[in-house]
Amino acid sequence: MKKLLAILLAMSMVFALAACGGSTGAPVPEEKDSQTPAESPDETAADADKYAVTEPIEIVWWHALEEQYTDLVNEVVNDFNSSQDLITVKAQYIGAYKDVNEALVAAHAAGTGLPALCVANTDYVASYGAGGVFENLDPYIAATNYDVDDFSKGLLLSSQYDGKQVAMPFLHSTQIIYYNKTMADENGIEVPTSIEDFPAFLEAGKKASGGYGTVVPGWDQWYFETLYLNEGVDIITKDGTCDLNSETALGVTNMIKDWCDKGLAYFATGTDASSAMRQKFYDGEAFSVMHTSSLYNNYVDKCDFEVGMAWYPASSTGEKNSEVGGCVLGIPAGNDQATKNAAWQFLQYLCGKEVNMKWAKGTGYLPTRNSVLSTDEGVKFLEEKPAFQCIFDNLNLINPRIQHSAWSELATTWKNYMEIMMNQGGDINKNSEDLVVEVNEILEDSVG
Amino acid sequence: MAENTLEKNTVGTVNGSEKKRRLSNRKKSRIQEFLFVLPALILLAVFTYYPIAKLFQISLTDWNLLRPEWTFVGLKNWKWLFNGSGAKYLWNSLEVTFLYSLGEIFATLVGGILFALLFKRMTRSFSAMRAIIFVPKYVAMSSCAVVFLWILNTDHGVLNYLLKLIGIAPVDWLNQESTALISVLMTTCWRVVGYGMMIYLSAMMGISPQYYEAAALDGASSTKQFFKITLPLLSPTTLFLLVTTFLSSMKVFQSVDILTSGGPARSTEVFVYLIYRYAMVDFRMDRAATSAVFFFIILLIGTICTMKFSQNKVNYDS
Repeated sequence: MKKLLAILLAMSMVFALAACGGSTGAPVPEEKDSQTPAESPDETAADADKYAVTEPIEIVWWHALEEQYTDLVNEVVNDFNSSQDLITVKAQYIGAYKDVNEALVAAHAAGTGLPALCVANTDYVASYGAGGVFENLDPYIAATNYDVDDFSKGLLLSSQYDGKQVAMPFLHSTQIIYYNKTMADENGIEVPTSIEDFPAFLEAGKKASGGYGTVVPGWDQWYFETLYLNEGVDIITKDGTCDLNSETALGVTNMIKDWCDKGLAYFATGTDASSAMRQKFYDGEAFSVMHTSSLYNNYVDKCDFEVGMAWYPASSTGEKNSEVGGCVLGIPAGNDQATKNAAWQFLQYLCGKEVNMKWAKGTGYLPTRNSVLSTDEGVKFLEEKPAFQCIFDNLNLINPRIQHSAWSELATTWKNYMEIMMNQGGDINKNSEDLVVEVNEILEDSVG
Repeated sequence: MAENTLEKNTVGTVNGSEKKRRLSNRKKSRIQEFLFVLPALILLAVFTYYPIAKLFQISLTDWNLLRPEWTFVGLKNWKWLFNGSGAKYLWNSLEVTFLYSLGEIFATLVGGILFALLFKRMTRSFSAMRAIIFVPKYVAMSSCAVVFLWILNTDHGVLNYLLKLIGIAPVDWLNQESTALISVLMTTCWRVVGYGMMIYLSAMMGISPQYYEAAALDGASSTKQFFKITLPLLSPTTLFLLVTTFLSSMKVFQSVDILTSGGPARSTEVFVYLIYRYAMVDFRMDRAATSAVFFFIILLIGTICTMKFSQNKVNYDS
């Protein structure tokens, strides 16, 4: 009896523990022959009435705009709320893109607590499109004659999955190099346009700062994947395999490792890697950093020297493309039609020309509409932020992200191996082989 | 003779009805007891046993958190866990979890008992000191972790500043494989040691002073008294702390999530964090469920072994 009691007690304790640890409380959706919203053929027919807002409604918008943007967010939301009578928007800051993703996926799986409108980092678009998390916006665009041609093509493609517009471009950025312009001018250092000249630039930067020539962010593969793509590495090939162990890929990995080994750069990883990297730059201990253009205002505010911005150097093949970053706006498909309609109205407002310029001015994000660039405001924007000229000169080189439903899993694996190779002394050839075996397994097992 | 038989029968009937009445009373009492326990059982069934059963079910599917549909795939996930790419991470996280557990158990038991001996005196100043050591237990883990993130910062952290003062080079506490788990354990120890101290202290107060008086008369030294009287009589407390710390340490998550996110190079990827990663980063609920089921089995075995050990080795005579 005592034994039985002990076993029962142990079982109940372990049950409680495993249930708590396993995050398995979410209900398993019943198997059903459901069509994802992106596949519903009826909805392609344009029907303006179907998407009209007829009753007063309150909707929630989940965003990832940090505290420094609170005033701007409030201004935009209040302007929208007072511009019409039916829709009241409540903006909610959820956290970083990762936090927004977790919250959205959990709400989607639970089928409750979904926001009417949600931001999503560009690399989640494929997952959300494939999983039916986001509504297909094509019928809405057609019904309301929404002008999507004004968005740059790359940005529109970044918000599509399988040819369907599952989101709209919202706050976009790209990878760039911030450098200490004051120090560069004093020491006659110029940011090179070719990767072959980059080590010399790093040497000069290291010498001038007494610290590092640059910092390569290792916490997000987005910052270094461009170096691979420009050299011709596909990462995911047409036959659905990974080529991060190809000779070209190994060349790029060895190149970054070489910078790190020589003390010219460091590969920033860890939970506080981003803030540590920025602090090094503010303090003049790093001559340059590879980061996102969206943080331009932040860098300028924090540095007591002039901040320069440069495009990533072109690869040995002459390619100097970059990838789009930032976030898109999507309408969770699990909402009722009235909520979706209200969200669509608000989405149009957020992506409108006027508001688009407000975002660009108030943050470091890029204007997403072509027409904005040619207006007086666009010209004024460049006068206020001349450093952005390097981005405007290369706008047509900003490409969409790699779209694959298993991208998140692949990226986590890649980052992990890069950290082993760059910071933990892992052998590049062996780890690249292991990485590819693992990634191929992920790709094979993915939904497409 | 006939009278005797009648008497016997009457007595028999009386005894029989009495027995029946007692049985029915006992039955009633049992039903009553069961009804009292029933609400708790229902809650347990709905919130614990049902999810566990579902967990087993999900482990046999290909459920991706993003997709509304799933299919049964048999033992595919189990093969992946033991023979596929999952195996490497499974064993790594088990190793990390057990190392972490050992560290936390050590801090709670050894640290707790040492602090209990140190702060045993029942004066007002000692009481204040005990409170200072105990308070971290009630600071939210997330707050603790954020504070330690700052303390352990390589360039601007207090710890490295102090090390520099005594001529030791700064350590990249959270970004090196060799120091990351130690850093997480430092945060944990700061929280748990006070709890261990309080539990041991209350148990020590319950030990009869007569044992010590008798031992002192026999000439036993303080050390001998500690090892021969205090420690054996604290064994039920030690068992309690061992079991509860073992279980709580196995489900560590928050501190790892905030301090290291399982890195660098998965050197702090404890089991619950691994499950979280599969579910919420990779969206692979099927793999998360498979790992959770396996973890559940390990914990079940661990707990049964601990209970068995307690029956043989623990001295309840205090």
